[in-house]
Amino acid sequence: MGRTMSNILLIARRQVGAMREDRYVVFLLGLVAALGIVSVLGARHHAASEAEQRARYQALVDRQWAEQPDRHPHRVIHYGFLVFREEAPLAFFDPGVGAWAGTSLFLEGHRQNSASFGDARHATALLSFGRLTPAAVLGLLLPLLVVAAGFASVSREREQGTLPLLLAQGATPAQIMAGKALGIGTAAVAAALPIGLITAAFVATGGGEQPSIARMLALAATYAAYLAGWVLLTVWVSSRRASSRAALAQLVAIWVVLCVAAPRLGASLANALHPIPSRAQFTAGVEEAQRQVGDSHNPDDPFFRALRDEYLARYQVASVEELPVNWAGVVSRKGEEVTSRISEEQQLELLALHRRQDRVMAWLGLLSPHLAARDLSMAAAGTGPEAMEAFRAQAEAHRYDIIQRLNDLHIHEIHHENDRAQRIARQEWARFPVFRQDPPSLRRVLADRPLPLTALGLWIALPLAALGLGRKRLPRVGMDRPSR
Amino acid sequence: MRLIRLELARVVRSGGVTVAAALLLVLGIHAAWQGNRRIQAAEDAAAAAETAYRDQLAHLVSLYPPATEAGELLYYLALPASQPTSRLSALASGRTEIETANLRIRLLALEGQLYEQETLNPRLAAAGHLDLTFVLIALLPLFVIAVTYDIVSGERERGTWGMARLFARPRRLVAAKIGARVILMGGLVTSLAVVGALLAGIDGDGRAGWAAALIVLHTLFWFALCLGVATGRRSSTGNAMILVGVWVAFTFLAPAVLSLANSILHPAPEALELTVRQRQGYHEAWDLTKAETMDAFFEDYPEWSGRAVPEDEFTWAWYYAMNHRGDRAARDASRAYRDVLTRRDQWARRWSLLVPPLAARLALDRLAASDLASQLAYQDAVRRYHERLKAHFQPVLFSAAAIAEVDWEQVPAFEPAARVGEASQAGFPAAAALILASICALLVGRIPAAGAPAGREDGAA
Repeated sequence: MGRTMSNILLIARRQVGAMREDRYVVFLLGLVAALGIVSVLGARHHAASEAEQRARYQALVDRQWAEQPDRHPHRVIHYGFLVFREEAPLAFFDPGVGAWAGTSLFLEGHRQNSASFGDARHATALLSFGRLTPAAVLGLLLPLLVVAAGFASVSREREQGTLPLLLAQGATPAQIMAGKALGIGTAAVAAALPIGLITAAFVATGGGEQPSIARMLALAATYAAYLAGWVLLTVWVSSRRASSRAALAQLVAIWVVLCVAAPRLGASLANALHPIPSRAQFTAGVEEAQRQVGDSHNPDDPFFRALRDEYLARYQVASVEELPVNWAGVVSRKGEEVTSRISEEQQLELLALHRRQDRVMAWLGLLSPHLAARDLSMAAAGTGPEAMEAFRAQAEAHRYDIIQRLNDLHIHEIHHENDRAQRIARQEWARFPVFRQDPPSLRRVLADRPLPLTALGLWIALPLAALGLGRKRLPRVGMDRPSR
Repeated sequence: MRLIRLELARVVRSGGVTVAAALLLVLGIHAAWQGNRRIQAAEDAAAAAETAYRDQLAHLVSLYPPATEAGELLYYLALPASQPTSRLSALASGRTEIETANLRIRLLALEGQLYEQETLNPRLAAAGHLDLTFVLIALLPLFVIAVTYDIVSGERERGTWGMARLFARPRRLVAAKIGARVILMGGLVTSLAVVGALLAGIDGDGRAGWAAALIVLHTLFWFALCLGVATGRRSSTGNAMILVGVWVAFTFLAPAVLSLANSILHPAPEALELTVRQRQGYHEAWDLTKAETMDAFFEDYPEWSGRAVPEDEFTWAWYYAMNHRGDRAARDASRAYRDVLTRRDQWARRWSLLVPPLAARLALDRLAASDLASQLAYQDAVRRYHERLKAHFQPVLFSAAAIAEVDWEQVPAFEPAARVGEASQAGFPAAAALILASICALLVGRIPAAGAPAGREDGAA
């Protein structure tokens, strides 16, 4: 046992020595580490100013709401409410889908608006080519560093004729490959460590809401597994190729397919398989569905005529003027109930389409661990699609609650005679609930991702199995076939 | 010529090249087909907006008694403002997935209606999009690298360089090798471009010409760069690492660094500011006297001053003047927001010239009218349309005309935005940057002279 360990460590030290002498690897390591640090600082700066801005405007809007003068409740229904999405505390590490999800949402009566002004809206097309975030450095660039550091790990020993010597000195193929993996792993750790440390420092010193330790650990585990898979794959390819040149070409090709082409092709396929309606078609559909039911602003609408008859019968009166409640308020309340239900149905239909597209991406994650790791990373950071959906759903629930409270005020506090001239006293506005955002829990978002978790497991298990099965053939590679 | 033919046969014979070329072709055709579908979807959306308007108008006219004031109907009526999609955007989709080009505009305050977002799935958008530009500008260079990085070092490492030099001078040899690969790539690019153009139905106008020129220049730029690196004395693996490193820097790092710097240098707080102000400006008016709201309106539209509205009753003229008050309150923030976006666009365009492939991509987006500036031009066109609608309906509102008195067929139609800049204005700087960078890359390279030692110069071979 002791001998195994010492052999592995010896090989690892040998690999580290070879990497330290390779100026390309040293340069790349420095570059990736520097980019990592810049990305944390830049993303942190951007996220902090963004969060400060949203908090400031939310406070302003909350104050404007509470300081409203005496107003008629239906006026306030149209005045509505503005909410700004709070980013997760770890959004600076992995902004996830936040840039495409919209940040401000206007909540008003009669309609569901969509959140507007995501980061992507005020960015040039450069944004879609890639973003300099810690997550991108770890997910996209570090694998390339691993490839550069390790493509020659076994193949160069073979080219230089030192592989038989190592074997003759008693190192088994398994020990050689384990040592190589360990050596390459140190390069990955050396580049990733500064990012992790600065992130942890920011999280520890940054005030406000603290991300849970669990989220940080989940992120660390995700990237550790993802990078370990790359290290194992690199050693395997290097051990299977007679020449370093061929190993490098093959590894770069794998990187391009998995990290560059697969996400885009996946998105494109998902769009082709499950096309979604455009905004124009979507809103037209909502309007059409609402038209089928009735218009609460129109007193002669058949739907609301039936409601009137029902009320007249219930209170045993002959006209709406004799009702003990305000009829206009009743109509408004019922109208809100109906239009909200229709809008929500249509919205959920659209979201179901999104989920179907997401499933295509999740299955593709089995082929591209980059997709799977990215998905798990945004889930752990709290910036995945479900966080955006939770904001939307909670804002809608808040909207419905506020609008119906206002309608209740209209029904019970406003007399139908000379309706529009009456006001609700200003003290009432401060009694309304404030919007609180409650992001989905880490446990839930991870439980929702069986496919990406499996994919990441396979990403380690498959190269490991290949290494194990191929270890006997290690001395013979390049012997039985002419090398190319 | 014979040399070129020999080389061509050798390149095509190697298995990896054939597989990569086939993959690129498949990806490119898929991307072009998707681009075509996107354009079709945009046209369907425009048609849907038009139909929705017709249906809504018919519904409203039948719903309200003809004597109802037209202002009431106008409260609901949403008029289509569809910007026709440029065919070229099938190949360079730019920001078309985020932005809607089919807004429907009501006569109410405009600022709340101008920034609607497409129904995109954020997860797919975050994955990046695949258009033919991505295949040709981002992936094709990798293929160029794959077939050229070892043209000299590979022969040296196999020990065949000395023998090859017996047949031809190094310069001619390298020229033949590069020539063969340029021909191969030329075939690939041309077939992709032709397939893309046919699928998307692109007209052969000046813009398509500039786009084709940029793609050709961009491919040649990578050949120049590869030649510059590959003719050095490094090992094949050294060449490969340098070239892939440059590719990563140009394709991911440069845009990522530029967009991060752009967002830090040009912050956009006005986006939230204008939302807050517009809402406040409109709603405050409910608590003011009607004369105050009207005076503000007359300041912006002096041609209507003197048309007083009664203080003690609701009029639609006053209602829409209140809406105007909302836009007025948001005006400064809205302009500032637009200015920030314009600055971001110009800044990105200027600095991208340092990274020629990036300049090419932004230029292609501009040629396809799928860039930020084109989106701003569309918003300006919508603003003008809103003003025209206001001017058209103002007499109706002030005279409290009934629905029956309005000729609904005479409502002004949206006039699409003109293209931003000339085709040459968009294409020339990027083309110049590509040519200049190609020349620089060639100067860096040195073709091994006849007398240069032919052995292994690099330990890593």
